[in-house]
Parts: sequence; structure tokens; C-alpha cells
Amino acid sequence: MKMKVGEVLLLFGFTGVATTMMLAFLWAPSVSINAFEEPAAQRIFYWHVPSAWAAFIAFGALFVGSAGWMFKRSELMWRIHIAGSEAGLATGLMTVWSGCVWGAAEWGTPWDWSDVRLNTFGLLTLLAIYLVLGRSSQPDGVETRDTFAAFGLYGFILVPFTYVATRIWSIRHPGPVIGTNDGGSLNADMGLILLIGTLSFTLLIFGHMLTSMRITAFEQRIEALQIQLDGGK
Amino acid sequence: MAKTLFEAVNVEVRRGMGVVLSNHHVELNQGDIMVLEGPNGSGKSTLIEAVARLLPLEKGHISHAGTSVVDHEGRRKTSPINVTLVLQKNGLLGCERVQEHLNLAMKMTGSTVDTATFLEAFSLTHRANDNVSHLSQGQARKVAVLSALLPAFASSEPCLVLMDEPDAGLDDRSMNSLCEWISELHHLGHGLLISTHDERIKSLATVRHHLPDGTTDIVEKGDREPRTTSDRPSTPHAKITPGQFGWNMQWRTLAWLNQNAMAALLTLGILLSMGDLSDNLSEMQQLGFILAPALAAGLCGDAMVAMCREERAGSWWYCVSTGTPHSGMLPFVLGGAITLLSSLAFTDDLVAETAVIGALLTGIVAHLLRFAQQSTERLARPQAVFIGLLTPVLILPYALLLDLLTR
Repeated sequence: MKMKVGEVLLLFGFTGVATTMMLAFLWAPSVSINAFEEPAAQRIFYWHVPSAWAAFIAFGALFVGSAGWMFKRSELMWRIHIAGSEAGLATGLMTVWSGCVWGAAEWGTPWDWSDVRLNTFGLLTLLAIYLVLGRSSQPDGVETRDTFAAFGLYGFILVPFTYVATRIWSIRHPGPVIGTNDGGSLNADMGLILLIGTLSFTLLIFGHMLTSMRITAFEQRIEALQIQLDGGK
Repeated sequence: MAKTLFEAVNVEVRRGMGVVLSNHHVELNQGDIMVLEGPNGSGKSTLIEAVARLLPLEKGHISHAGTSVVDHEGRRKTSPINVTLVLQKNGLLGCERVQEHLNLAMKMTGSTVDTATFLEAFSLTHRANDNVSHLSQGQARKVAVLSALLPAFASSEPCLVLMDEPDAGLDDRSMNSLCEWISELHHLGHGLLISTHDERIKSLATVRHHLPDGTTDIVEKGDREPRTTSDRPSTPHAKITPGQFGWNMQWRTLAWLNQNAMAALLTLGILLSMGDLSDNLSEMQQLGFILAPALAAGLCGDAMVAMCREERAGSWWYCVSTGTPHSGMLPFVLGGAITLLSSLAFTDDLVAETAVIGALLTGIVAHLLRFAQQSTERLARPQAVFIGLLTPVLILPYALLLDLLTR
């Protein structure tokens, strides 16, 4: 069977992520033992940062899909909403889980309720869980779509807030790495692995969303055929 | 000239993934009985619920007495006229009493009439002081029908009476009374929009509206001039608000004790079971312990939201009043009381300032949860969504509040 674009991207994404992990564990330079409590745990950063980047892409797609459904009533946009929430859930969990592992090693606690970045990102992930589980509990319909698209729109407020949280209110979480001119703390090898990881996760997340949209389109076709069999319009 | 009570202009309504009403136009004047005719699934209930402002519109708008009350951009206004409603579900809470509910429905119009003759005709006199939950399905239906008719009898202004299959489950004697009352309301100048399959009610129609094609037939009758006076004396009464009703129901059912107070007491009990921590805690941690039961009480939300899902009582309230019932000031009172208790348990002292903070904490959190719960009421299964997953959004503000108060 011929592979679709989404599946090709997924394949390249998975290969890239595996390469990143291999480089992170075998080739990346160690960090200074003076700057970190647990220098070895820092290697999880090559997984944590790209997955957070992919999560922002997914939540961006969620916002676009939600807005597109609310204002255009577009089936394509609803599929993007679904793909964005599912991808946001997957990458959000990857980020939160890896962050907790590093936090436990470096800070001595996996979670800090007073840290703004941790909490807003955790909430974004909870929003994704809410959207995915909530939607699966309801029959598809304009009421379901409107309600969850509205939550998707309101929830997106957290995305820019999460991104700037460490700039305006840094408590424990380190500052941003992607999207800044201040890359001085990374040496060239670290930067290269991070770049490979970021590109791989980007491919992975786009592949995930395209595949998810295709599955949703199939589900919608099946639903339409079932309605036809029921004698409906 | 007869006043137009409602007008639906180029309305499109979707339910599920289907378009039920498309580019639909219909209007009802005072003194008219409009009967909706059509097979099951043709959109009769949808039209009634759209006119009752219960459904969002994809296109067009609906106006009551010339004022747009809902449009396709989501703008909603309270109706400028008295609207009464009976849905296919009865819109009653099981803990309401029959007479109480009828008085409540009439008070929405600002006046009441004597209900004795109506209860007698519907064989409900002996049930007047019973809880709705004690009635048979047919009896509960009669109460629901009366709660749509009586406000119109009590009102001196023309009312819009919306009835979705009022005949369902009614016996012959009750049907005769219902037809007489519908006819009387028509003569009093009220407008009635009725969905029915019953031939006796259909024969009363002055206008027949056919669905799904949207055509309208005017039925020629000799007595179309509306009469303007009623021989049923009415007594003025203050309207009851959703907050007052919610407060009353909360005290009757003690739902707040089961839901909010128990969560607070359990939290307090668990914290106390850890032993005397007062010496080992910082000032901020101590305040966090004192206020934790109040936060737990608020995080349980408002019990009225779940209660109003019974028989679509929330929809009935939304149509005939200014909103859906809520617990009003009760969470604030509960939060204050539980914080006093908690303060006493942790510090052996009653601090009024802390109690006020606890009251505000429970009240604000409970009402925020209520808004979140109500935002999912349109869903087919609102009880099945995972709104609790969003409550951690309140933890960070709570931590920041503690930080601010102890800085």
C-alpha cells in the first residue's frame, strides 16, 4: 500500500528522534559538574526541549482548528482541532514527564506548584486530556464541536503565557532556549543535537497530525455512510 | 392591530450534524394559536426550543415583541415579554412541591391567580403539597403543563406560551380542560405556539405551520378578535430570582452538605490527623492549611448545576427567568464558616479577617466552577465531560494568594 505524506513524515520523525537520543547519550558533551546537581540528568534536555517545541506547534494547530471551526464551520478545521489536541496531549505528556524526571534529579522534587512555567504547561496538557477525553464521551455534533472549540480557544491563552513565563517570572525553571538570541550557554555540539532533535520532533508532530486528520476523515465518512444506512439525510 | 409576539427570521438551526431548520421564517401574533404539524424529526421541538432561546442559531435571528433575543452571532437578550414553556421533559425538580412550583412559575410574570380550579380540573388538589418526585409521570406532566398556562392567566400583558406536546400522557378529562384553557388564553390575547399530534388541539388552531417545508395556513374562525379582560382575579407578587430559588433548594435538599461541606470537613480532618503542625510550619504554610478546607469546598462546584439537569429544569428556568438557578451566597457563607472552624482547629483562635478570605475563596471558586460546568450544558451528555481536569488551574492563584497574604 502506498504511504501517505503523514506516514512518511512520521517515519522520518521517529528516525530523527532515535538519532537524537543516540547522539544525546553517546556523543553530546557533558555539562559542568559545578553548574548542575546531577549533570548526567541534563541529557534529558535533548528530549524535553524539542518535545516542548512540538507541543507548542500542536497547541498552535489546536488554536487554528478551534478558530476555524468557530468562525468558518470548516470540516478541515475541525479535523485540525482534533489532530492538534491529540498531538498536544502526546507531546505535552512527553514534556511534563521528562521535566519531572529532570526536576526530581536536579531539584530534588518532580514538581513545584509555585513555578509558573511548570504549572501553565501542566495546565495545557490537562486541557489536551480534557479535550480528547471529553470529545470521546460525546456524540459528534455541532454542540460538541462548538463547546470544545471554545475551550481550545480560551486554553490557547496559556501558550504565550507559558512561553514568556520564564522570562518574566523565573523561579526554578531555566529560561527559554528556542527562539532567543542568547544561545551562549550552549556549545556547538549541543546546539547541533538540539537542532536535529527539534527538526525531528517537528517532522514527527506534523506526521502525527496529518495521520490523525486522515483517520478523522475516515471516521467522518463512516459516520456519514451509517446515517445513510439509517435512512437519514 | 395585533402585536407580533415572536418572529423567526431566516433561521437555520443544526442539531447533531444535521440541519433541522433551514432559512426558516415564521411569526406569531397575539391572540393566535399556532399549531406545528409534521412528522417526527421534522423540527417542531427544535423550532419551539429556538424560539425559547435554548438553541444557538447558525443563521438569522429570533425577536420577541420586536426585540432581537437571539441571533446567529451568539448575542442573547432576556425576552421583553413574559414567556412560558413546557418542554417534552417536564422542567421540574423532584424536590419542588406542586403548589410551590406553580406559584413560582406565575411569579415570573409578577402576579398570581388562584390555582384551586386548575388543580381540581387536573385532579391534583390532593397532591398540591406533595413533592414532584412523589407524582406519577402523568401527574408530573400536568404540573408542567399548568406551569406554562397559569402564568399566562396571571399576566395582564400578552404572553408567549410555548408548549411541546402538552397532551403527552394526559387523560380524556384533562385533555378537555386543557383545550378549554388554550381557547380561553387565545381569547385573552395571548399567543400560543404548540407542537402536537392530537386532533383536539389541532382543531383549536388559528394558524397551522407545516414542517419541514415551513408553509403556513391561516384557519378562518369567526371569533378572532381578542378579548382583553380576564375574570380570574390576579394578585401582584415579587419575582423570584434564580439565586433565591437555588438558595431555597440547597437548604431543602442539603446538597451543599453532601457536596461542598463534606469535602471541606474531610480535608480538615485529614490535615488534623497529621498531628499538631503549628510549630513546624511557616506563616504561609499555616495559612495554606487553614484555607485548604475552604478551597476544597469551592472545588466541588455548585450542586445546583447537577440538580438542574433533572428533567431539563435548567432549560425551563433559562427560558422563563433571567438565568439558571445557582447557590448564590451559600458558598460564601459556607467558606466563612468552615474557615472559622479550621482557624480554631489550627490556631485556637477565631480570626474574622481569615474567615472573610475563606468566604471569598469558596464563593469565587464555586462560582467559577459553576460557569465552567454550565459551559458544557449544550452537550448531549454534559455529565460525562471531564471538567475536573481543569480545576488545577486554580492551584497557582491559590499559592500566589497565600504568598501575597503572608508577605
